[in-house]
Amino acid sequence: MSLARPARCLFCSFSRAATQSTRVPRRQFHPSPAQLTNRKPKFPNIKAPEASSQSVPKPEDFKPYTEEEKAYLAKEYSAAQLEAVKAGEAAIDPKDLAEQCNERDDPLKLNYVDDFSVIEPGIDRHVRAPESNSDYNFKLKSEDDFVKDFGRFFAEMPDNATGADFVKFTDELRLTHGKEENELNPHSALVPDLFGPGETIDEPRVEERKTAAEKGEKERSLQAEEMTDALKSLLLATGYTANQIRDFRLKTLVSHSVVNQTRLGKVRRAYRLSIAGNGNGLLGVGEGKSDEAADAKTQSQYRAIRNMQPIPRYENRTIFGDVSGKVGAVELQLMHRPPGFGLRVQYLIYEMCRAAGIHDLAARVSRSRNKMNTVKAAYEALMSQRDPEEVARARGRKMVDVRKVYYAGKV
Amino acid sequence: MSLVNLASVCAHLNNATKARLGLTSIPNSNLHLKLCQALQNSGYISSVVRGGPTPPPTHPILGHPTANDEVEGVEPITRDNVASRRLWLGLKYWQNESVLGKVKLVSKPTRRVHLNVEELRRVVRGEEAGYVAGLRSPGESLYLSTDRGVLEARECVEKKLGGLVLCRVL
Repeated sequence: MSLARPARCLFCSFSRAATQSTRVPRRQFHPSPAQLTNRKPKFPNIKAPEASSQSVPKPEDFKPYTEEEKAYLAKEYSAAQLEAVKAGEAAIDPKDLAEQCNERDDPLKLNYVDDFSVIEPGIDRHVRAPESNSDYNFKLKSEDDFVKDFGRFFAEMPDNATGADFVKFTDELRLTHGKEENELNPHSALVPDLFGPGETIDEPRVEERKTAAEKGEKERSLQAEEMTDALKSLLLATGYTANQIRDFRLKTLVSHSVVNQTRLGKVRRAYRLSIAGNGNGLLGVGEGKSDEAADAKTQSQYRAIRNMQPIPRYENRTIFGDVSGKVGAVELQLMHRPPGFGLRVQYLIYEMCRAAGIHDLAARVSRSRNKMNTVKAAYEALMSQRDPEEVARARGRKMVDVRKVYYAGKV
Repeated sequence: MSLVNLASVCAHLNNATKARLGLTSIPNSNLHLKLCQALQNSGYISSVVRGGPTPPPTHPILGHPTANDEVEGVEPITRDNVASRRLWLGLKYWQNESVLGKVKLVSKPTRRVHLNVEELRRVVRGEEAGYVAGLRSPGESLYLSTDRGVLEARECVEKKLGGLVLCRVL
């Protein structure tokens, strides 16, 4: 026992002190008593999700009808209707009701009420009747054909025929010759005849179409021979055509070799970082690594194309507000500039701006200037722009772009 | 006018929005109240209510406490309870991000920054003036303590008022 600690009664050590100040599990660096439990705020706070949540219904809230209610219902409805009401009540589990009968308040909720039972032409994505349903060579049946149909019906009619058989026959009776789907599942207001790629309003005749298709197949097969598997899967994943991909602005910005140290020695591989943009607001960054430098380059370019995302641009020339990004030790700021200012930025960010279609910008890269991280930080900064419309909505205040108003939207 | 307390309020608001709090409290003072009301006017926070040490009851429809609660009534401030009063602020969130971004003190307890109208005009236009960086991002605002209470920088320019720069909100 050290002299610094006062001597205590032996029995006192068995009974815990009222305060927890003596129960210190670790060395103390300051005289104030350590708190063993997690610190709680002096004044209670309320978490945002709890504050916003409305009263959620529970299964117990959905009670069966009482005798009084049943008596009241009996006045309004007939016995058969009451039976239907009871069956309906019994069919639905109150647990399901509680789960499904409340409004969503998550961020992905819809802004309108819908049960998705019908396709709304104005709101929902169009469902196009399959092209194969169309038959441009259909013909209306003649009277003779109908006579034949009726004759067949009467010939095949069973002995105890009822009216239902005739109704079924008339329902199934086709009015046209040709493909069945063309009559039964045609284009309509809900399923409008939107044109697919390469389709026109004056559809060529079957023979011409065949040759056109054959021609297309030939061309396609020629292209397919040139196309690699990677490019094919890129086209499939992104939905771009080979011509569109040829028009993208691709640039390999960082290239160096990387080494993996194994017990067998150093394994060198090539590393490439590329950007892809369409010059009109889309930009993506991709990295590739391979034994072959050319392979790494195409890999990184394809990844950049896959990663292309829209970048908000003010007046299609500069960015919204000043933004900053940080990756590793690279910290940078991108600053919006007036029209005609140009791209006064370092070459990596310059190439990114060119690819994305930004024309007026200033940048400052501080701390480290590692190339790879500079590109990534610039991308992060470009993606972190705040949309003024969103800001206005979030704050519930109207915001007006004075430049737009002053120049009557002609800027 | 204690800028020390205001600094802790700014830090607390930053921490509270990061912790996704819906309702939090700050010490009661006239400066804090005026600043919070200015923030509410700009739409950064949903409610400012002066209450006791426990959270005030929420409005059944609005979902946050209201300053003039007709159901529960407002406890009047007396000499006995004034020390225990706190300001309860309803924080807003939109699209999974807090509406009140970063609150940063501009004047410091050891260096108070005053701006006159000319300098404020430059700041509002996005230029730097008197050690204060310009307002260059959408939705960025600066709050000043003036003769006519705590006002946003653009309001100050409108009313041709200068004053002590309190804090910047992004």
